[in-house]
Amino acid sequence: MSLVRNAARVPKRRSMIRGLAFTLAFAATALFGARAVMAAQSVNILETGSSLLYPLFNLWVPVYANVHPGVKITTQSTGSGTGISQSTEGLAQIGASDAYLSDALMRKYPTMLNIPTAISMQMVNYNLPGLNHLHLKLSGPVIAGIYQGKITNWNDPAIRAMNPGVKLPNHSIIPIHRSDGSGDTFIFTQYLAFSTPDWANSLSYGTTVSWPPVSGGLGAVGNPGMVTALKGNPYSLAYIGTSYEDAIEKAGMGTARLKNRDGNFVLPTAATAMAAANEMVPKTPKDERISLIFAPGAQSYPIINYEYALVNSRQPSSDLASALRSLLEWGISKNGGNAPRFMTEVHFVALPPSVVQLSKAQIAEIH
Amino acid sequence: MGMTAEEIRNAIRQPRPLAAWRRRIFNWLGWGVTGLTFAVLAAAMVWILEMVFARGAGALNWQVLSSVTLGLGGGLLQAIEGTAVLALGGTLLAIPPGIAAGIYLSEYPRGPVAPVIRFLTDVLVGVPSIVVGYFAYVTMVDGLGWKFSVAAGSIALAIIAVPYIVRTSEVAIRGVPNAVREAGYGLGVTPGTVIMRICLPMALPSIMTGVLLALAIGVGETAPLIYTAGWSTYMWTGHLTNEPIGYLTYAIWSFITEPADSAHALAYAAAFLVTFFVLIISVSARFVLNRRAGWSQSR
Amino acid sequence: MSDERVNVKAPPVQSNGEGGTTSAGGEKIPPARRLLPDMRRRKRQYEIFTFRRLISPFAILPCVALIAIVWFLADYAWPAVKLNGWKFITSNSWDLGSMYANPVMKNGQMLLPGAHYGILFLIAGTLLSTAIAVAIALPLGVGSAMFLAEGVPGQARTWISFFVEMLAAVPSVVFGLWGYAVVIPFLGQHVFPWMSVHLGWVPYLGGPTGSGYGLLTSGLVLTLMIVPLIAATVRDAIVNQPIGLREAALALGATRFETLWKVLLPEVRKVTIASTILATGRALGETMAVLMVGGGALNYLPSNIYSPITTMAAFIVSQLDSAMEDPTGMAVRALAEVALVLCVISVIVNGGARLLLYWGNRAGATTWV
Repeated sequence: MSLVRNAARVPKRRSMIRGLAFTLAFAATALFGARAVMAAQSVNILETGSSLLYPLFNLWVPVYANVHPGVKITTQSTGSGTGISQSTEGLAQIGASDAYLSDALMRKYPTMLNIPTAISMQMVNYNLPGLNHLHLKLSGPVIAGIYQGKITNWNDPAIRAMNPGVKLPNHSIIPIHRSDGSGDTFIFTQYLAFSTPDWANSLSYGTTVSWPPVSGGLGAVGNPGMVTALKGNPYSLAYIGTSYEDAIEKAGMGTARLKNRDGNFVLPTAATAMAAANEMVPKTPKDERISLIFAPGAQSYPIINYEYALVNSRQPSSDLASALRSLLEWGISKNGGNAPRFMTEVHFVALPPSVVQLSKAQIAEIH
Repeated sequence: MGMTAEEIRNAIRQPRPLAAWRRRIFNWLGWGVTGLTFAVLAAAMVWILEMVFARGAGALNWQVLSSVTLGLGGGLLQAIEGTAVLALGGTLLAIPPGIAAGIYLSEYPRGPVAPVIRFLTDVLVGVPSIVVGYFAYVTMVDGLGWKFSVAAGSIALAIIAVPYIVRTSEVAIRGVPNAVREAGYGLGVTPGTVIMRICLPMALPSIMTGVLLALAIGVGETAPLIYTAGWSTYMWTGHLTNEPIGYLTYAIWSFITEPADSAHALAYAAAFLVTFFVLIISVSARFVLNRRAGWSQSR
Repeated sequence: MSDERVNVKAPPVQSNGEGGTTSAGGEKIPPARRLLPDMRRRKRQYEIFTFRRLISPFAILPCVALIAIVWFLADYAWPAVKLNGWKFITSNSWDLGSMYANPVMKNGQMLLPGAHYGILFLIAGTLLSTAIAVAIALPLGVGSAMFLAEGVPGQARTWISFFVEMLAAVPSVVFGLWGYAVVIPFLGQHVFPWMSVHLGWVPYLGGPTGSGYGLLTSGLVLTLMIVPLIAATVRDAIVNQPIGLREAALALGATRFETLWKVLLPEVRKVTIASTILATGRALGETMAVLMVGGGALNYLPSNIYSPITTMAAFIVSQLDSAMEDPTGMAVRALAEVALVLCVISVIVNGGARLLLYWGNRAGATTWV
């Protein structure tokens, strides 16, 4: 009986389902149609990569989007490794990276452009209860020894010799490194490699290195992860980009003075960065792939770098190409992205005019 | 030869019954321990749900639901839309193969093919979702040149969800009484029509459970989408390829590690939304199943 | 129902020579000829496009997907497999090489100098975290199942079981969020230091406690993810046992708990084991939760239960982009090999559990997992 009744219900249910299907299809088509029309007039730009450059890009996007409403810019903080790999693969239009592309990668992807957008620095931070305000002095060889596991205690003679009069605790050091592909790792390991032959021969530099297993050593993801790990682990040591200087200060962590090539211990400030830049910038080649690490000069800060926007010079559409060109030109101009209000907020240094010219030449190649 | 009288007596002696107090202690202990395990489980559940709902509800406001993400702040509108698009896309792609396989397994269980389908489908459940995501990344995003796209993301979700639909529809269609099928054959209906016009509508509620489960999986997945759907802070423009799309679970795992408070708020809000949707879907699936449970049991 | 098209065989006709026929009852029947084209067409359709043949291509799509995935992984990872050999799973050094140096030829492959792939620490991390999770989840799950099946008064039973199943629906990234935001501070600052001091005599429970990220935390979060699976399956299996069994035990004087412990539980042993193995399979493939609480270890084995670890699944997520920077492409293939190893392990564990479930499923669980 119930079977017959339900069988009789089938037509009604079927027509209901048909009606529902039609409505959905109609709505979907209408939505698609409307969207496709709107889409034809806008350009999508995906910027992914360096967590060091991310805060700057996040400051740029709302300002730029106000003036250029047809351009949709999505930003992501994923690490320079991702910036490099996704921009070369064409998955992202702009790959933000603290590291320029290697020779081998330039051979594999000859149309890539490495365009500096600003000059940034990297701090070496530590968390020593009671000593965080003191700006401990550290040098490349000492830090290399710590990350290799050769120097394991904070009151090691090497550190004590460099910091006379400081009461260093008797506690093992917890070195924190980046576990994702990171431009910060690149510039940090370049500093270690340029200042310590032992490191250069064994580990060299790169966005990823095979960190020697040190008891208690930690891996963190992204600059924010480094800040969190540093905060959470007393007696630890980490390398963090200057765009996170405010977070470090808020957390009350210490910033070390690093020994530069001339033997002086300097803090990361705009002045010391400018000093290093003045030495290295004139050597910048046309493709702008150059390391600014361990610059000579009495007041030079040893870890400064160009923040690169990695862009493919061949874009699939001319709309996209011109949108990228205008975005990047705005980014490097003193009235646009390199304006003081942006630079001071992230503690970067504006590009010197000679570099701006070089970058402009590269940007013009995007088509 | 045989055993001594002593051995025979030992062999047939009944064990002494347990003393009453021993049994009482055993019972009390038993209930105590099981109650404790359940209490631990319940406490952990409450802890999680409390975090999600308390912090999530606190972070939820009209702005979060109505505006798109701007850097590390703003809202989650495009992520909500993206999750809906990807989950629906994945489910819609998974339904035809899922139901077809379910029909095949229940209607033609003999022969060499059915056990193979069943076994391989069950093995597919065990493939980790990141492996499916990696496969989709190398073949579709890179190999076919789709880049970050709704298509790649939906296909990855469909592959993950299809075994659940297969299993539920097989059980559902098998639960249709044979008498109904035979009635159809007796009236001269072709086997195909019997299945599509008679069995399938009757099994629909149970199949809906599987479909809803697939939807819940699509809403909650993260790993396969990271490398197939990408991320976007703008509403979807309808392109199936070459356009990344946002989704809620990205906001959860990526924003919670950022130092900004606005990012944390978005992460909790996204967690609240995702958990809420998934629970609603599971509840609906339960209700659908329970309301029609009488069906397959009626002759 | 009247609009149903039915394939009706024509009734037996008697030709009366005029092109018309008379049925047995004497009425005039239209010439069979008119039916013939229809019948012929339908018969042809029926022969070629049987329903079975129509749905077969769709029905085998899931199988095709699985075979495609495994075949693709094996094919893509093959150069890495050839290069690494068995050292892949026995050595502890994952090194992408000097990324900014020029690739060199080694063993017939272009590689970055110093590139070396060994994932013993990943295998250890995966197996250890899963082992801890299952070791805690099994008693927790079975105990909860027993309590849910018998201990809860009738009205509340459906609601509470439902509540437990809801936990199974919570996405893994939310577990990761909970672990990261709530559990790690709690464990790292309060529980672990206490444990290390007071339980430090137990092997692996003493020593430095780190900051809360690590093996034990991952294990605990994984436990919570798999307990509902075990609890729900075992509960259903217990509830579905024939009532005669229960009544017989009660009639012999057993209490409710004794019935559970001595009669019902042994009956559902196969289901318990199978669901545990399925839960193991799920824990092995778990990605996001461990990514967020595991600590990201590289190239070292955990020294105690609080050490950071990485699992294979979490490693793939965090290293894919770095691997893509390798201009020789070998790093991505090595990562594909990691995925292949993970896939093989999961498939073996799940396949074994399925087989067990098929054999043991008589009165058994209606809850599929």
